[in-house]
Amino acid sequence: MRRKIAVVPEKCSGCRICEIACAIHRQKINNPKKARIRVTTIYPHPVVRMPVVCNQCKDAKCLSACPTDVIYRQNGVVKIHEDGCIGCHACVDACPFGAMYVHTDIDVPLKCDLCADSGQPQCVKMCPTGAILFMPEHVFGQAHRLNNVLSYTHMKEIEYIEHGEPKRLHYADNNAAEGRDRTGGEE
Amino acid sequence: MKQHNGGYFRKILHIDMTTGSSRTEAVDDEFIESFIGGRGFAIKLLWDNLAKNNGRVDPLGPENMLVVAAGPLTGVYLPSSGKNSFASISPATGLFGDSSMGGGFGVELRQAGYDAVTIVGKAPELSYVFIDDNLVSIVPCPELKGKGNLETEGRIRDNLGDHDVKVASIGIAGENLVRFACVTSDWSRNAGRTGIGAVMGSKNIKAIAVRGQQDLPVANVDKVIEISEQAYKELGAHNMMGHWQKQGLMGVVDYANMMGILPTYNFRDTHWEKSKNINGKTMLASHKIGNTACFGCPMCCGNINLVKEGKWAGTVTEGPEYETAAMLGSNLGVDNFASILRGNHLCDELGIDTISTGNLIAVVIEGYEKDLLTLDDLDGKPVTWGDDDRIMELIEQIAKCESIGATLALGAKGVLERWPQLKDIVLHVKGLEQSAYDCRGASSMALAYGTSDIGAHHTRAWTVGKELEMGADWGIEEKVDLVIYHQHIRSLFDMFGVCRLPWIELGFHEDFYAELYSEVVGRQYSLDDLLVKSQNLYNMTRAINVKLGASKSDDYPPARTFIPIHSGPLAGKVCDKDEYEKMLALYYEKRGWDEQGNPQIACD
Repeated sequence: MRRKIAVVPEKCSGCRICEIACAIHRQKINNPKKARIRVTTIYPHPVVRMPVVCNQCKDAKCLSACPTDVIYRQNGVVKIHEDGCIGCHACVDACPFGAMYVHTDIDVPLKCDLCADSGQPQCVKMCPTGAILFMPEHVFGQAHRLNNVLSYTHMKEIEYIEHGEPKRLHYADNNAAEGRDRTGGEE
Repeated sequence: MKQHNGGYFRKILHIDMTTGSSRTEAVDDEFIESFIGGRGFAIKLLWDNLAKNNGRVDPLGPENMLVVAAGPLTGVYLPSSGKNSFASISPATGLFGDSSMGGGFGVELRQAGYDAVTIVGKAPELSYVFIDDNLVSIVPCPELKGKGNLETEGRIRDNLGDHDVKVASIGIAGENLVRFACVTSDWSRNAGRTGIGAVMGSKNIKAIAVRGQQDLPVANVDKVIEISEQAYKELGAHNMMGHWQKQGLMGVVDYANMMGILPTYNFRDTHWEKSKNINGKTMLASHKIGNTACFGCPMCCGNINLVKEGKWAGTVTEGPEYETAAMLGSNLGVDNFASILRGNHLCDELGIDTISTGNLIAVVIEGYEKDLLTLDDLDGKPVTWGDDDRIMELIEQIAKCESIGATLALGAKGVLERWPQLKDIVLHVKGLEQSAYDCRGASSMALAYGTSDIGAHHTRAWTVGKELEMGADWGIEEKVDLVIYHQHIRSLFDMFGVCRLPWIELGFHEDFYAELYSEVVGRQYSLDDLLVKSQNLYNMTRAINVKLGASKSDDYPPARTFIPIHSGPLAGKVCDKDEYEKMLALYYEKRGWDEQGNPQIACD
């Protein structure tokens, strides 16, 4: 089972701990500009904070754009052979997500390799708000699926008392699906 | 061989706006060893500039120096390392002034390779300074005149074609030399106090843009990783962490109200029956849309709020935190949370400090209520508690120096010069308006405000909580000791360039910082070693202030401190004048200053 990094922008505070954790662990250097993950911030319309990091695409545009064929895939992780890289940055341009980075001190572009495929990416470990996750591939899309499913339901609410405390319960009343007939027949 | 292998670039950038020139200066071991960084470097640089100008500096004159300095721990892999200091001679007080800014500006400045930047002179036209690693340019920007902070930041980024450039700017208030104008970065992170924005305005500097790529020097990287990750782990496991991430400093509204220190109606009351309308729960229930954090901080205390309906609909603001909610809320009798958000947004965009603004507008309302100000003084437009429309108008008038705003823009000192009859209702020390903690129930806090080098600001020594919770039987010695300890330990945070909140709010131990500093610079220091430097720094700041005319008479809290609270949990409490005199005398003695508060350091 492959796992990859998922970001939840709604949870990101923009603290950049992911950046500094990445750089300091991978390169023993305290420089967030040498990280393979970066937070992009937009304000105020709309307010967005989003860590941008490699998706380990199956049909990786960086890989096919590389003129010297030094980008390769190993166990599902897209990596760069540093020796043959000519530093042309064609891969950086090709990435549709802007998830490869360039630093003036380093000729080879900075790209996430899931902490050398160690099974424990540092950004995931250090994120204080749970905005960066390391998940099995089949889980991707589940959140959207759930939201989409919920949007079809007919939510109702009741209030009741439990142990003297007022409580609320949301439920889907599948019997009272007004105006929507799921059987195909007439109501 | 140099004494420190990490922590410093050992380089200061000096910029002269008049000539448009810049140069770098190497710093030596002695400078580093004595002043650590951040506020420490700033004070020494201002001290030297004062000496160069024969002890006289007009805060708004070209000879005044603006220092921007992050610390040796700014941007380092450790919790909450995103702070830097803006310091100068304050146009609000005429004395030393500084304000600490969060966000990421300081990190970027260090990555450009400078331990501090000084700016003197005055540009021929409105300009921004662009520090691009070792390239420094001054870019005229007359098109940004009068623009708000948000627009300015965005347009400079667009101009430079780089979304990641950090920008610290002033709004129209800074251009207009409002004495409590702030400097804003990362959209709404402010160096809010002591009017540093006006110093920038006086130099025709609309903004400082910075971009840096360099590695931050750290001597023992592995050790830093080990200590810091333990720290992140401890903070993450703290039982208040969830509350902090949700509410940030907004949780303090309920605390302050419960303790009886919430400024209400210009500090007349200290408890408000409507405080529920302006607390963190109200924010969460109806306005909050996101979190924001300074660099490296797991606490993400910044609240991003949106007004979704009503007359201020569409207003987005980063904030409020406690000070703003209290000063633009309870202190003005405003119980509509959306109005606080609107006021917060206006202050950020126009570039004025919410504490001073809320303080001075409250003075106007009370002055008018008590017939100390006439309708004419108010330009024929009355204002009462909670009148949010008129309050928003006043905020704009202050920033634009229009109508009564032109007087309020001069700060507490200017207001009292024009209207001396308000002397009992303007809450200030040394000309800086009081922060949002009433100090009558805790006389150590009165001493903290009175002896603070920059005026009545809470972050120099926030002792009010501790005294109210634990100090019922404290004698004056314990109170004086606590104030002095806070003034030293908190200076240290500003010298390191880190935030104090993990320490004061989540109980994080101060020894941690000494240990980390040692590993970052590659030389061992104990907390006591560092506190001695902090003490020396406090003496030097005092010497600067004495040189600039401060005396014992400036070391008293506002007049209202000596009038009993009439309602709420602390009803009847008051700071006793005799006790204050005794505390002040003991404070001077413990600091080794003479009876008039003069330090034993040459003021020449």
